Amino acid sequence: MSGVVEPDLSVTVGPLALENPVLTASGTFGYGLEFEPFLKLDELAGFVTKGLSPRPREGNPPPRIVETPAGMLNTIGLQNIGVDAFIRDKLPRLREYDTAVIANVFGETEAEYVEVCSKLDQAEGVAAIELNVSCPNTEQGGMIFGNDAAALHAVTAACRKASRLPLIVKLSPNVTDIRVTARAAVEGGAEVLSLVNTFVGMQVDVERRRPVLKKVCGGLSGPAIRPLAVWMTWQVHEAVDVPLIGMGGISTAADALEFILAGASAVQVGTANFVHPDGSIRVLRELREWLKEHDVATLRELIGAGHSKAPA
Amino acid sequence: MPRDITTAVLANTDLGAGNWLLEFGAPEMAAGMRPAQFFMIGIPGSATILRRPYSVCGLPGTFDDRPHGTVQVLYKVVGQGTRLLASLAPGARITVLGPLGNGFNEPDDAETTPVLVAGGIGSAPFPAWISKLKDRFPPPLMFYGAAGADDLVLADWFAERTELQTATDDGSAGTHGLVTEPLSRALDRERDRKLKLYACGPEPMLQAVGKIAGERGLTCELSLEAHMACGFGVCLGCVVPVRRDGDEVGYDRVCLEGPVMDARCLAW
Repeated sequence: MSGVVEPDLSVTVGPLALENPVLTASGTFGYGLEFEPFLKLDELAGFVTKGLSPRPREGNPPPRIVETPAGMLNTIGLQNIGVDAFIRDKLPRLREYDTAVIANVFGETEAEYVEVCSKLDQAEGVAAIELNVSCPNTEQGGMIFGNDAAALHAVTAACRKASRLPLIVKLSPNVTDIRVTARAAVEGGAEVLSLVNTFVGMQVDVERRRPVLKKVCGGLSGPAIRPLAVWMTWQVHEAVDVPLIGMGGISTAADALEFILAGASAVQVGTANFVHPDGSIRVLRELREWLKEHDVATLRELIGAGHSKAPA
Repeated sequence: MPRDITTAVLANTDLGAGNWLLEFGAPEMAAGMRPAQFFMIGIPGSATILRRPYSVCGLPGTFDDRPHGTVQVLYKVVGQGTRLLASLAPGARITVLGPLGNGFNEPDDAETTPVLVAGGIGSAPFPAWISKLKDRFPPPLMFYGAAGADDLVLADWFAERTELQTATDDGSAGTHGLVTEPLSRALDRERDRKLKLYACGPEPMLQAVGKIAGERGLTCELSLEAHMACGFGVCLGCVVPVRRDGDEVGYDRVCLEGPVMDARCLAW
């Protein structure tokens, strides 16, 4: 008979103390308030906002999304209301909730990243910053910040100086060896790494004989990428000493546990929020049940446990 | 307030030429639902993960012979999602999120005649809309275009309740050609009447109807369709270009700011 009445799901992710390990991923959860009709924001440990830039952005022309086998491609183009409107219009309402608001930040130049981080540092109610480094640097010929170790180190270090908030760097999977960029981000000052962002891909409309997406390529997310993302989490866990937040196609407790056993201290639910608005809460409730059924008293004992050399 | 429910298919009827009418029970959802609002419908355990948007076709009272508390969705098989939906037998489980979006707005006064323009499966939102307008506004004029006669689904139903004119690409029914031709002629003939246009169908048709209405100074509401992942405003996948203040072009979401938009606001 199970001895666990109510398992302890709390986790410590670097400077962040979270009630449970379930967060939601940037770009799949708006600014949080959109989900008020569907779930209790307080029930979530926290959520990551849509990527915020210095000024509002309208994003890319449609078509922007298409479903693919066990996943979807998107090329939204970082449409957002801008950091000022977020602080002015969204944060005051979000402060009413007991949930960690993690602000996702991006820019087209290092200075833009710094500008957004500085503004968030002065705002009340932001629990942490997550850097989206999967965007092109317009000062460096469109090279993606997160795909180059030196550029990633530099932008991370600049953002580290610009705010006192816990700094998470969200790694791009579109690299040869993710351990190299993971180390560069940590050396630059990242206290936590989240991984992975979407994989670049495309779909061709055979009848029209043209790309489906207007911008040709997009970011692949959903269950299709989960094995790739779990493997990257596993590798990065062995390469660096900072805590990890895993993501990529999580829609069940078992999916979340794969990342946790591979070394993630917390997870982000992404595409599953589109399928069911309370998709994140479903994962959390299942996770609690799983721990009870398996007589696990604290979730923390599972973090990275998959790496153990002891017989299972 | 939208709800996310799991319910059973009550009927899934083949109307020919790939057109189907799905029926399911959703009494609470239907109670506050407006014509041209939509559902996201998913098939648990199927090969697709994202739900698909479907306009509400029949609300309680729209089709007299249907059981109380049921709603109907009219759809055409065009891709993987609709193909899977068409394979469902009564009793199959579906997940339904709704009501979503804004819906059609009634004419400003009781003297205004609604003018309905449907292209193909774009006829879907009109049964519920016609039922809602019934007896409170003059009988609608309806212009219904499709590829061929087989695609003029529910044409008899519409003919009993509207002044219906049809058009087909192949000339197998009604006017041979585009639906916008009989529409333009009728609008020119009815210059003395107060009219308001409502259109749903393929994008080129909507663009043409918006233009025709604009040239005549008529208000025109378009019910748009777009690929969307979520249906409630967060994926930002379903946007259309719109004119903001001062002719600046931005993007609005079909799911939240739409699916019904004023033709004058669209920048396409």
